[in-house]
Amino acid sequence: MNPQARSLAELDRVIHEPGRLIIVSLLSAIAKADFVYLQHETGMNKGTLSSHLSRLEAEGYIEIVKTFRGKVPQTLLHLTGAGRKAFERYRRKLKEAL
Amino acid sequence: MNQPIGDYSKRPFWYYNIDGVGELGMGFMLLGFGLLIWLQLHTPTDAVWHRMYATLLYVGLMCAIIHYGSKAIKQRITYPRTGFVEYTKRDKVWRPMILGALASGAISIALAVALRSQWDVKTLASLFMGLVFGASYARGLARTVRWKWAVVVAIAVATLAIATLPADLVESVVNGSRVTGKVPQVVAGVFLIWFLFYGAVLLISGGISFCLYLRRTQPPAREA
Repeated sequence: MNPQARSLAELDRVIHEPGRLIIVSLLSAIAKADFVYLQHETGMNKGTLSSHLSRLEAEGYIEIVKTFRGKVPQTLLHLTGAGRKAFERYRRKLKEAL
Repeated sequence: MNQPIGDYSKRPFWYYNIDGVGELGMGFMLLGFGLLIWLQLHTPTDAVWHRMYATLLYVGLMCAIIHYGSKAIKQRITYPRTGFVEYTKRDKVWRPMILGALASGAISIALAVALRSQWDVKTLASLFMGLVFGASYARGLARTVRWKWAVVVAIAVATLAIATLPADLVESVVNGSRVTGKVPQVVAGVFLIWFLFYGAVLLISGGISFCLYLRRTQPPAREA
């Protein structure tokens, strides 16, 4: 297998999915954001966004904290250290492959 | 979702001014400083505006209004409509501080070189300020919203207009100043005019952005 093909094969499949890639890209630039922000920026509906977030959380790439802003429930999300490393590795591999 | 992925990692930075609050805050600060300088230049030397405690009080009050005003708008209007974002300390504190220090250093060096070389400092200062404000507006704000390019054009026109103002008219803005001992009056006049003009531009542009934001976004549904 040539190096480019190997880089493509080594791409992280969890991040490679377009919806999750957008979520991880958005979260990589900031400290944290809430669910409403991600919904606004990605244009996904609540169900789709929730399922992507659950997948990323299961992989240990993001942390989800349920809290309150005043009396309103708020879901805060941030990229974990493992998530940042995985995203950096994904970007590097994708660059190598292209 | 059909944007380059690199754009998505920049979107959180553009998001800060989605409601125009960034522009409103900056415009308020520039006009506030412009007003303070104006007061110091046009009041007798024994007036309260020349006292250190009054200046500190004024600046403290202005910063408090900007900080808590922005926070209130974000918490009551922006976060419920389009969501909450917390930026990293690097982007919130260090980057603006470094950029501010570099910009003020560049302005000081350019001014010192212009004064030493006996150039036409009024025209140079006008063009330089226009370039700095126009470029920062174009890069930071107009890239994301198409109508704001009209503001960039207005800044370019204003740059030429201020550069061609008669020197005595510009000097009269700061006439009798006690802070212009080292800096020529005409340069101080150009700076003050630019502060007031750019502050007003940011306030108007921020106000329009805020109104458009309110029209284009929906408040969250209230529970019964």
